[in-house]
Amino acid sequence: MPAFIPESEANVGMVEVFAVASGKGGTGKTTSTMALGMALADEYDVTVIDADTGMANMLFHAGLADADTSLHDVLAGDAPVEAAVYNRFGMAVVPCGTSLSGFQQAEPDRLRTVVATLAADTDVILLDSPAALGSRSAVLPIVLADSVVVVLQPTIPSLSDGLKVQEYATTYGTDVAGILFNRVTEDEAIDRVATKTEQYFEGETLATVPESDAVRAARRAGEPLLAHAPESTPAAAYREAATRLTVHDRPVDPVADRFRSAVIPDHS
Amino acid sequence: MNVPQGNLLRKRVVTDLATPLSQALDASVTGYARLEPGDTLLLDAEGVGVITFEDGVPVVAYHSGADSGGADALADIAVAGPSRVALYELDGDALAQLHDADELRVPPGLPAERLAGDPALAERTREAAPASRAAEREREQDGLAAVEQFLDDGDRIADIRERARDQAATRAEEWGFDLPGT
Ligand SMILES: Nc1ncnc2c1ncn2[C@@H]1O[C@H](COP(=O)(O)OP(=O)(O)O)[C@@H](O)[C@H]1O
Ligand SMILES: [Mg+2]
Repeated sequence: MPAFIPESEANVGMVEVFAVASGKGGTGKTTSTMALGMALADEYDVTVIDADTGMANMLFHAGLADADTSLHDVLAGDAPVEAAVYNRFGMAVVPCGTSLSGFQQAEPDRLRTVVATLAADTDVILLDSPAALGSRSAVLPIVLADSVVVVLQPTIPSLSDGLKVQEYATTYGTDVAGILFNRVTEDEAIDRVATKTEQYFEGETLATVPESDAVRAARRAGEPLLAHAPESTPAAAYREAATRLTVHDRPVDPVADRFRSAVIPDHS
Repeated sequence: MNVPQGNLLRKRVVTDLATPLSQALDASVTGYARLEPGDTLLLDAEGVGVITFEDGVPVVAYHSGADSGGADALADIAVAGPSRVALYELDGDALAQLHDADELRVPPGLPAERLAGDPALAERTREAAPASRAAEREREQDGLAAVEQFLDDGDRIADIRERARDQAATRAEEWGFDLPGT
């Protein structure tokens, strides 16, 4: 950032939106979203949003199971965005409710406004995304993001699904920020698998995160991994991954435009 | 591949193919599973997968869209993703001829490995396989070796990517997205 730009203005222009995605549930998207968010929060203002509105679980990872207002209320038009923002673990956390009726009343397209509104006030947004590509609302976070972090398990179905996520993302004008192997149990072979996998992905391997009791314990405690077990091996892997993520400087007006008019026609 | 009509045991939409495989194993099903992509719009393009079982252990696999058999068929089924799965019971004799087709056979644990990414289920399946299949069991690559083999097949992966791009573009239209650069 050139020194002659006043601090406040400089900050306004900078936001990078990452979608944390995988084709399959249970790969560790929410775990990864919270961990990357906390790691990036050392340097940036970070907002994490549970955009997996049909299978939300960020609230359980962030100790927000009792939160009064969630993204569901915002998407239903019943609450302003600010009411669903909670300052936790050095980040702004926007959890989503888990009820079926909340999901049914939500208007998915409002996510765009939510992202655009929060973008004005933060450096980095992480969208915890649905494990599906089969509906318009499921792919919306990937469409809205600048780039996608693809969470993979080293299995054939997970790799195949991850490739599909990449192709959807790039077709919709979203870059691949990198791939992240999670729940790795075989140490020696994973490096070969990662190298071979990288050939097919348009982003580098950000980290390989081991299958670990620390991750499960953090989830049970309702805390992100980096708060619960900051010294653990998986926590170190996530910090390493965060250093490999590029946070671009994007001028404020094109940013707002991007969310207003980009890929999604305005229905309102 | 012609499979005689069997008795429908159950039919459901699954997000994880470990579900039908472990159900077949736990109930020692002799018969077959028919796997369709969840999205019927894509059915013509994607085709249907069939896996047969003897006492719960997979024997042959076939995919109609790619006209592939054996391990290749499993890869085609895996690529088609979450599915509608129907599990049928069928007399072992009716399957005998099919089970003689070497090019369609799959090692016992391979479907769990490739379709479900579930090494524990694969191991359980190998343990349940009869002694007559010991040789197939030996040849089976498990865990990351199978993943590496998958990653070495550049053509198949190019195919997965191309189909996903086509799908994404088709759906963009359906969903009313304007693609960048169009
Ligand atoms: N590296 C890991 N080691 C052990 N358990 C993990 C790991 N990553 C995720 N998990 C566990 O797997 C479950 C699913 O993780 P989650 O992050 O909620 O996945 P997703 O959001 O993709 O569905 C959680 O119980 C979580 O604690
Ligand atoms: Mg989740």
